[in-house]
Amino acid sequence: MNEQFDMVGIRPLPPEPTAKAKRWYRGKPILSLTVLAAIFLGCLFCRLLMTKDPTYMDLMNYNTAPNGEFLFGTDTMGRDIFSMIWYGGRLSLSIGVLSTLISTAIAIVFGAVSGCAPGWLDTVLMRLTEILLSVPSLLIIVLLQAILGKANVLSISFVIGITSWTSIAKVVRTEVRQLRSSEYILAARCMGGGFFHILWRHLTPNFVSSIMFMVVMNVRSAIVAESTLSFMGIGLPLEVITWGSMLSLSEKALLTGAWWIILIPGSFLVVTLLCVTDLGNYMRRNANRKQSNL
Amino acid sequence: MKKRNLAAYFGKKIFVFFLSVLLLSIAVFYISRLAPGDPLVSYYGDRVEKMTPEEREWAEGKLGLNDPITVQYIRWLDSAFHGDFGISYKYKMDVVEVIGSRIGNTLILGGVGFLLIFVASMLLGVLCAWHEDRLLDRVICKIGTISSCVPEFWLSLVLILIFSVTLRWLPSSGAYSIGKSGDIGDRIAHLILPLTVVVLGHLWYYAYMIRNKILEEVRADYVLLAKAKGLTKRSVMFRHCLRNVIPSYLSIMAIAVPHILGGTYVVETVFSYPGIGTLSYESARYQDYNLLMLLCLLSGILVILCNIIAQIINEQIDPRIKAQDAAETLEVGEP
Repeated sequence: MNEQFDMVGIRPLPPEPTAKAKRWYRGKPILSLTVLAAIFLGCLFCRLLMTKDPTYMDLMNYNTAPNGEFLFGTDTMGRDIFSMIWYGGRLSLSIGVLSTLISTAIAIVFGAVSGCAPGWLDTVLMRLTEILLSVPSLLIIVLLQAILGKANVLSISFVIGITSWTSIAKVVRTEVRQLRSSEYILAARCMGGGFFHILWRHLTPNFVSSIMFMVVMNVRSAIVAESTLSFMGIGLPLEVITWGSMLSLSEKALLTGAWWIILIPGSFLVVTLLCVTDLGNYMRRNANRKQSNL
Repeated sequence: MKKRNLAAYFGKKIFVFFLSVLLLSIAVFYISRLAPGDPLVSYYGDRVEKMTPEEREWAEGKLGLNDPITVQYIRWLDSAFHGDFGISYKYKMDVVEVIGSRIGNTLILGGVGFLLIFVASMLLGVLCAWHEDRLLDRVICKIGTISSCVPEFWLSLVLILIFSVTLRWLPSSGAYSIGKSGDIGDRIAHLILPLTVVVLGHLWYYAYMIRNKILEEVRADYVLLAKAKGLTKRSVMFRHCLRNVIPSYLSIMAIAVPHILGGTYVVETVFSYPGIGTLSYESARYQDYNLLMLLCLLSGILVILCNIIAQIINEQIDPRIKAQDAAETLEVGEP
């Protein structure tokens, strides 16, 4: 800043996009998509990748550090971690997707009902969601899990699903409030369209883009919730292999300093979450950001 | 006239608060009673299995467990108004005492964590916004995104592995070493790891939020005017943009209180830190109804309170929110 005057409000045009910058992959989350696809396919076709039986407890080789035979080592029960990761990833990922489907479905219906309802009902419904939000979800999950009995994949997806729909429902409600007095909704209603018809054919296509980011983030938080629960011993039991239940052995691993039991499944978990987040951020990213005035 | 309006405004808020708490208590009471599992076991221990049916009935009658659930709720509510929340089945003590002995630990962990997050996220957000899209911003954003993806329990495990198991610098569990409960230094040493996890787990979420808010603000026209009249970048940023962002940041931080509290629950369990988190986890597992009720109520009240505070802040900043709500209610004549 050698000049005496600082020019204000100049909006320099972006440089002419060169042929190189115009490539189709610019700004797209290629890396995350690739990694996510690799993990996904690896889990789907785990039979081809697994070097050992993931459920077999090899009592001769428990707690072994990674070596040629056991690529990622074995856990405190003598199971091969490399095979367990692919095998368990299937469950972790499907719990994430399944509970997101459940929570999104609840959120869309609830949000739309609340958005279309008269004012007092809307207030009551929104107040109720706030109360539901106010109990720490960990406690609700523990309680529901106790009611449903022994945890399995379906019950845990269900429990996570019905505790994580409120934030999406709020967005849906706001969007529906804005959309519901549009002419085409009125027209559809005049022609005798039912609530679910209007919701599915007219409302959903309009707000789906604004909740897509939250839906993707919901997959992420569902995977985190499952692994946290299983880790704490209130989710899936040890015999059901997921990334979370693999980590529940880490208390013992800490005592023996077996880093591979903690670090390797955890890294897979974190990498997956990172890719999912990147995907979500890509969906949210605003394509045309304005020039800064500062 | 204005004064009456104000009284009505706060009266309505207080009414909503009590109604919410009442509904919350009913919900928690019913859910906790629906859960299977035998509260007698947590009260009498393994002796329950050897009890005859008559003894069992007597024991249930003594704890008031075989009345209809509505009667149980009304009885609970009645004694709760007298400050009596019952005894913990597991600890055989007044639940208020059980919680009282632990709540301090959680308040320290959560409170210090909250303050650190509050200050650090603002600094980080301003730093990123200042260097928008430059190297520093991009690097911080990348690191922040990564840090927000690491589940809290795993971060705790990794930190324990590094700092307690391998380096042996810091203790891995508890709030103080045995026999050193008064030693401040020892307590701080026990606090470092849990605190790090609590802060790292939430920091980026709020820092990113304030970064984006400032970036939105920076694009407003008044910034152009301020620059045009010769203000420096620093004074525009701190005296105008930041000042405009802070009220909405405050309301976000009010909602953040319960989130951070919920975060300490997991962290406490991993570090076996004697606080409310470990207590609620235990009480839910062992069907310790009275304890669980009060814990849920406490955290619920905190959340409801924070929500109302956030709402009030929002309405004070931007009266349009209220007007809009009113308009919405008016317009809803016909479905």
